Amino acid sequence: MLTKHELERYDRQIMIEEFGEEGQEKLKRARVVIAGGGGLGSPAAIYLAAAGVGTIRIIDRDRVQLSNLNRQVLHWDKDIGRSKVASAAEKLRNLNQGVKIEAINETITEANIPQLVAEFDLIVDAMDNLPSRYLLNKAAVEKNIPFFHGAVYGFEGRAMTIIPGQTACLRCVCRGVIPGEKFPVIGVTPAIIGCIQATEVIKYIVGIGELLTDRLLIYDGLSMQFTEFKVKKDPDCEHCGHLVKGE
Amino acid sequence: MAIKVDISPLLNRATNGVRTTEVNGDTVGQCLNHLVKQFPGIEPTLFDKEGELYYYVDIYINRENAYPGELAKPVNDGDELSIVLAIGAG
Repeated sequence: MLTKHELERYDRQIMIEEFGEEGQEKLKRARVVIAGGGGLGSPAAIYLAAAGVGTIRIIDRDRVQLSNLNRQVLHWDKDIGRSKVASAAEKLRNLNQGVKIEAINETITEANIPQLVAEFDLIVDAMDNLPSRYLLNKAAVEKNIPFFHGAVYGFEGRAMTIIPGQTACLRCVCRGVIPGEKFPVIGVTPAIIGCIQATEVIKYIVGIGELLTDRLLIYDGLSMQFTEFKVKKDPDCEHCGHLVKGE
Repeated sequence: MAIKVDISPLLNRATNGVRTTEVNGDTVGQCLNHLVKQFPGIEPTLFDKEGELYYYVDIYINRENAYPGELAKPVNDGDELSIVLAIGAG
């Protein structure tokens, strides 16, 4: 049941025909993990908190650095040296006091991932490295938790939504990334991709629209084009192949 | 056989900013070889020393993923190949 305050706060989105009060109540009950509090995690968390997602758990082990500030908009000059999750939680709580923010200052590992995502409805992939993305993808498949992938490089970004057992997973379509430790990126790119991830999360929770499944969406900011590629489940996928073969 | 190729912007430096071109070939491999003749600088990014595509190179034929066995896949006149490099930053 929504309070009078919530009905007023979310009035403009409740007005959306497919959304309504029922959609808002679904968002209020939802529990979302955002893995990564950086370039992708910032816009995703901001818009999910603004939309009224009930519980957001944000996981990141890093501290804010000066070179983060061109794109990680949850963190400001005053936060340099502070843990990213503490910085993010402060901003998100100020943005919407009605949302429960859980800040987890940990490295995601194979050992702790079951605990980190337990009792959560979905996972947003806002990581900055492929091994962690694979850990999350594998855990999402094993625990049957929808997984919302995003990645960026320079002016280019991509997004894909994964419903375990039903659609291609990240491992089906990604066998590795371009080598390198430090990648170029301008803030507007993760802003766009993080917002696409947040849009997918909201649609999934509310149960409306058509999800970005079995489709890899690539955004090219330099030519300002979005291109969609068809992807399919890989029967030999080491993460979800057993589910494909079991069909 | 004229095949349109859409080249990842991550290869801009090697192609002098050219994003689309036409190549000839009956298979993806032949098309990519023709592409390398046009832009020799892309070869080290696409192929390893054995001439196999690197793990981070994805080829799409008419926007459908061609994995696995991409290089041997046949193409037809008017098809569109897309070269996509996997990225992982956040």
